[in-house]
Amino acid sequence: MKTTPLPNRETFSRRLLRKALQGVGVKVGLFWVGLLVVCAVFAPFLANSMPIVMSRDGMVSWPVLHYLNSEDIFVLGAFFVALLLWLLPIRVDFRLGLMVLVAIPAALAVLANLYLKPPQLVIYDSFRTPAYTEADWHLMPPIPWSPRDYLRDYGETGLEAPLASTTGGRTHWMGTEANGADVASRMIHASRIALSIGIIATGIAMLIGILIGGLMGYFSGTVDMLGMRLVEIFESIPTLFLLLTFVAFFGRSLYMMMVIIGLTSWSGYARYIRAEFLKLRRQDYVQAAVASGLPLTSILFRHMLPNGVAPLLVAASFGVASAILAEATLSFLGLGLVDSPSWGEMLNQAVQSATFNWWMAVFPGGAIFMTVFAYNLIGEAFRDAIDPHMARNAGVNT
Amino acid sequence: MRRPLLDLMNLSTDLSTGGEVVHAVNDVSFSIERGETFCLVGESGSGKSITALSVIRLLPHGIASHPQGNILFYSQQESFPESERHGINLLELDENAMQQVRGAHIAMIFQEPMSSLNPVFTIGEQIMEALLLHNPGIDPQEAMDRTLAALEQVQIPHPRSRFNDYPHQLSGGQRQRVMIAMALACEPELLIADEPTTALDVTVQAEILRLMRELQDNTGMSTLFITHDFGVVAQMAQKVGVMQQGRLVETGPVDQVLHHPQHPYTRQLLASVPENLPRRDSQPSLHSGEQPAPPQPDNGGKGATGMVMLEGDTPLIQVRDLRVWFPIRKGLLRRVVDHVKAVDGVDLMLPRGKIIAVVGESGCGKTTLGRAILQLETPTAGSVQMAGTELTGLDHRGLRPWRARMQIAFQDPQSSLNPRLPIHTTLTEPMKVHGISQSQEERLELAGRLLERVQLKRDYLWRYPHEFSGGQRQRIGLARALVLNPEFIVCDEITSALDVSVQAEILQLLQDIRAERDLTLLFITHNMGVVEYLSDRTVVMYQGKIVENGLTAQVCGDPAHAYTRKLLAAVPRLQMTTA
Repeated sequence: MKTTPLPNRETFSRRLLRKALQGVGVKVGLFWVGLLVVCAVFAPFLANSMPIVMSRDGMVSWPVLHYLNSEDIFVLGAFFVALLLWLLPIRVDFRLGLMVLVAIPAALAVLANLYLKPPQLVIYDSFRTPAYTEADWHLMPPIPWSPRDYLRDYGETGLEAPLASTTGGRTHWMGTEANGADVASRMIHASRIALSIGIIATGIAMLIGILIGGLMGYFSGTVDMLGMRLVEIFESIPTLFLLLTFVAFFGRSLYMMMVIIGLTSWSGYARYIRAEFLKLRRQDYVQAAVASGLPLTSILFRHMLPNGVAPLLVAASFGVASAILAEATLSFLGLGLVDSPSWGEMLNQAVQSATFNWWMAVFPGGAIFMTVFAYNLIGEAFRDAIDPHMARNAGVNT
Repeated sequence: MRRPLLDLMNLSTDLSTGGEVVHAVNDVSFSIERGETFCLVGESGSGKSITALSVIRLLPHGIASHPQGNILFYSQQESFPESERHGINLLELDENAMQQVRGAHIAMIFQEPMSSLNPVFTIGEQIMEALLLHNPGIDPQEAMDRTLAALEQVQIPHPRSRFNDYPHQLSGGQRQRVMIAMALACEPELLIADEPTTALDVTVQAEILRLMRELQDNTGMSTLFITHDFGVVAQMAQKVGVMQQGRLVETGPVDQVLHHPQHPYTRQLLASVPENLPRRDSQPSLHSGEQPAPPQPDNGGKGATGMVMLEGDTPLIQVRDLRVWFPIRKGLLRRVVDHVKAVDGVDLMLPRGKIIAVVGESGCGKTTLGRAILQLETPTAGSVQMAGTELTGLDHRGLRPWRARMQIAFQDPQSSLNPRLPIHTTLTEPMKVHGISQSQEERLELAGRLLERVQLKRDYLWRYPHEFSGGQRQRIGLARALVLNPEFIVCDEITSALDVSVQAEILQLLQDIRAERDLTLLFITHNMGVVEYLSDRTVVMYQGKIVENGLTAQVCGDPAHAYTRKLLAAVPRLQMTTA
């Protein structure tokens, strides 16, 4: 695609962004989500039992890199590609950018899967043997505990309050959980699940919703009627019970959860897009596009979708929040992932213990609250920016 | 000493939004005598409505301010305090006192009859509310009688049964009558009418204007009449004020301003009225070259059929018995109970290289006809043939080669361009689809040349629609229609939303381009002045049918059908003595 010499003019989307980013609330929301992204991407470097870099007998080695799996590679790759696309002063076509953003990390992950063979079994005790501790020098992550490092070698049952160091040298900023793993470390690693389930489930839902809703709105008539019945069928499916059933039959898988949440929540997006397209279809510029004999894909996705997608962004940010809540609910009920840390599962531990361990409830609960709150703030800011009526009301105090 | 009713002295109004201050009204002075109609004319944004809203103080508080000026109001009504008969400054009244003045002494009617009435109350209740508010002592029976009298006064048929009607049960013209009744119920001394007939059809407009003149004669009230239409000015005004960019550039008696304008801006405005536009040299010769067709035999009230064929005409598009019916569905099973017959059996031949005007009032099906010819609307029955090929029934793919040959330009400059795409994309995408020129550079070059042809700058290619004014957008819309080199363009009211001077420029441009490219234009409009200026042939539509068609000079000069005569008689004319 040719890059066009576009002078510095404010496009509709930029104006929308500028208006949306004016408030304080949205900045708080974006800051929290940004923090989560950093935690999720750099989790292995932030909280790990093994040193990031060490030197022993003059040999420098990177134990963390050695233990990276293909999932870590994918997340890191995606983050740096996105950063490059954003920071480099080249203007890339949106579709091309999206392709690069998916293709490069995916290729990296496949390569990592083929050629990188991280040890399947990680014995955390070994990192506390002289082989690691007696190095010339080593750099530990800020939180020197892995999420699944249950500290069994210390012979303790866990549930240690924050900063209550009974034995010297160990500080747990947020205490330990029932099995003795570090809560802060688990919180950081759990942000990955929270973010990915929100974004991917909502992405799936939006894709289906836009496709079905767009066709309903553009063609109307019979297509619309059939589509609306489909929407009603899917709206009558209770997501949570479907998830429970699937977990019971097919075992626990994060990807299955994403797909199910995505498949059951597209109906709202379809309704939004349908309403927008019904309105846009009558607009003169769409009629002009039809009169020029443009192909249907261009009319739908170039002339109509960008004009109708704005309310969808609002719905999407609320959708991300509810997907995170759905996963937390499932984990809280004890039906989440088995060994992977998740905020809901940590909350579950908090209620199961005989004593009240406040740190087990406050930190993951606060994180869930803050994340849902942040997405709601962002969604609300976008809604206000889109709605010219609200903007006018804000300006005229009559 | 005879005093005027209203005296504006050096009024200025500033509007401040988001740190920016707009001097909407700047040092305006005029006075209105008792029983007089004062017309404020000007183009959009000239500050004429802001002036009116300043008088009745309906501008939003935090935003509007008056850095200078007085608005003196001299009431002679009994209810007015004796001490204040020497005139009160409306700008200094507090909100409570102003509320006493509004409605009782100064009333206002607005442009949009659809939205000025509250849809959840009956029209009777709404008029009575105003009465009871301003006459606290009145008993309900008397209020009811006065309401009925007011409805009768504005010539609503059967006021007693209409009393309990809701606004949606009335037509646009009737709603405007109710608005006038509401304004007049309290017998105000000054009526402010802000473009009261702009949204109405021309025949309804004629009735409303006649009604307003009669009421004024009967009640002796004064009117501040705001309009952009010089034809209306000529009919209504005793005095005229011409506004330009917040300033009053000329005031005077109506004869003087219209026939001996002093200010260059007034002259320019008057010269832009379609009736006064200089005719093309080619046109008279074109007309004289054509022999008027013999009067058509009336074929049994079936409506006129076909376009008058003249020697030298080659048909480009042939429309036969075209029907576009929209089904009305009702009930649980959504059965079709009836049809809205937007276009009902239209036969039409469009000769190559001519401008054919389609006129009619709103809802007569003229827009639907244009869209059905372009296959943007699926016809219910009938045939549309272009150069001998049947277009109805072709699918999206089959129509594509024909799409390049016929194009459309729209009325609303706000919605005619995709706000998310820069102009160059809007212009080059159709070229790419239809395989015009090989490279994007060539297409950009072509698009740039087209922009220059419609008198815009070439670097506008890189801008977005929201950066342009209404007139500029209409030019871009025209450029988009021309981009595929079509033979036929449907112009759907393309100048209706524009100011008169911009309209004149667009019309002239359209004529030039037509001559250059040998285009056939179907020009849909409700403005008879534009029809007479621009078109070769005229088609008059009424309720989905063609009632008359023929040469424009013939249709407008010697109308055969009663409806055409009514339409032509209703047009407010501006008789010019000087060009």
